Amino acid sequence: MFNAFDVSTSGLVAQRTRLNAISSNLANMSTTRNEFGEAEAYRPRYVTFQTDTSLTTSGGGAGVRVASVDLSDEPPNMKYQPGHPDAGPNGYVAYPNVDMTTEFVDALEATRAYEANIGVIEITKDLGAQTLRIIA
Amino acid sequence: MAANIFNSSTLPVLEQVVNFAQARHGVLAGNIANLDTPGYKTRDLSPELFQENLKQAIEESRRPASPGQSAASGATGAASTTNYDAFAKVEDSLKGILRHDGVDVSLEHQIAEISKNHAQHNLAVNLMNSQFRQLRAAISERQV
Repeated sequence: MFNAFDVSTSGLVAQRTRLNAISSNLANMSTTRNEFGEAEAYRPRYVTFQTDTSLTTSGGGAGVRVASVDLSDEPPNMKYQPGHPDAGPNGYVAYPNVDMTTEFVDALEATRAYEANIGVIEITKDLGAQTLRIIA
Repeated sequence: MAANIFNSSTLPVLEQVVNFAQARHGVLAGNIANLDTPGYKTRDLSPELFQENLKQAIEESRRPASPGQSAASGATGAASTTNYDAFAKVEDSLKGILRHDGVDVSLEHQIAEISKNHAQHNLAVNLMNSQFRQLRAAISERQV
């Protein structure tokens, strides 16, 4: 019974991790330098989930966990800005390949999935409370 | 004697319904947690199979009770043990649409199922409570 809480919580943790990655992508959508100050466009992060069989309920339900956070392989957006300090020899600056629409849709989806897990936790709480009412 | 009081009513049946509802709730919670897991397929426990097994168990427990009242005590435990078979079957449902990432979890469908399961659980618990209230009223020799 209480394992259902853990399963839903794993969903919450996973969706929040995804939302954090999306926040990072949006915050860095114009970042042209890496953490060492070198001219390299920020690469968007994408979170991958995996079914977590170490969290199971009596009926066979399973939890979820973050399998990996991967950097995007897509090439950066090249913009012709010869006067820019990070411009290459040909005058092009590499900008991160962050698509704002995609990120916003993903953020909304992650939020809704988070809310769905919260709803399940509410139901789990009520199931527990109702069961305890038998001995009340 | 005390076992007869509890097993002659619908309490063992309601107990199984509550057990099944809790097991199924865990499975549905897992589906919602795995909403965005690539390759995850929806899992479910079959309420139809459970009800079928429960029905059989009820009929079996009633059969020996009719010819002689002395046989009734032997059949009382039947309802509480046989219908656990339904739990063993975690089946993949094909009701949802398979997306390009291999996921077929339909959030609307899962929420509807979990709400129905919730209502069924609470119905069984409330019926159980009313049975215990009646027993208590009988024990304390007063009107309900």
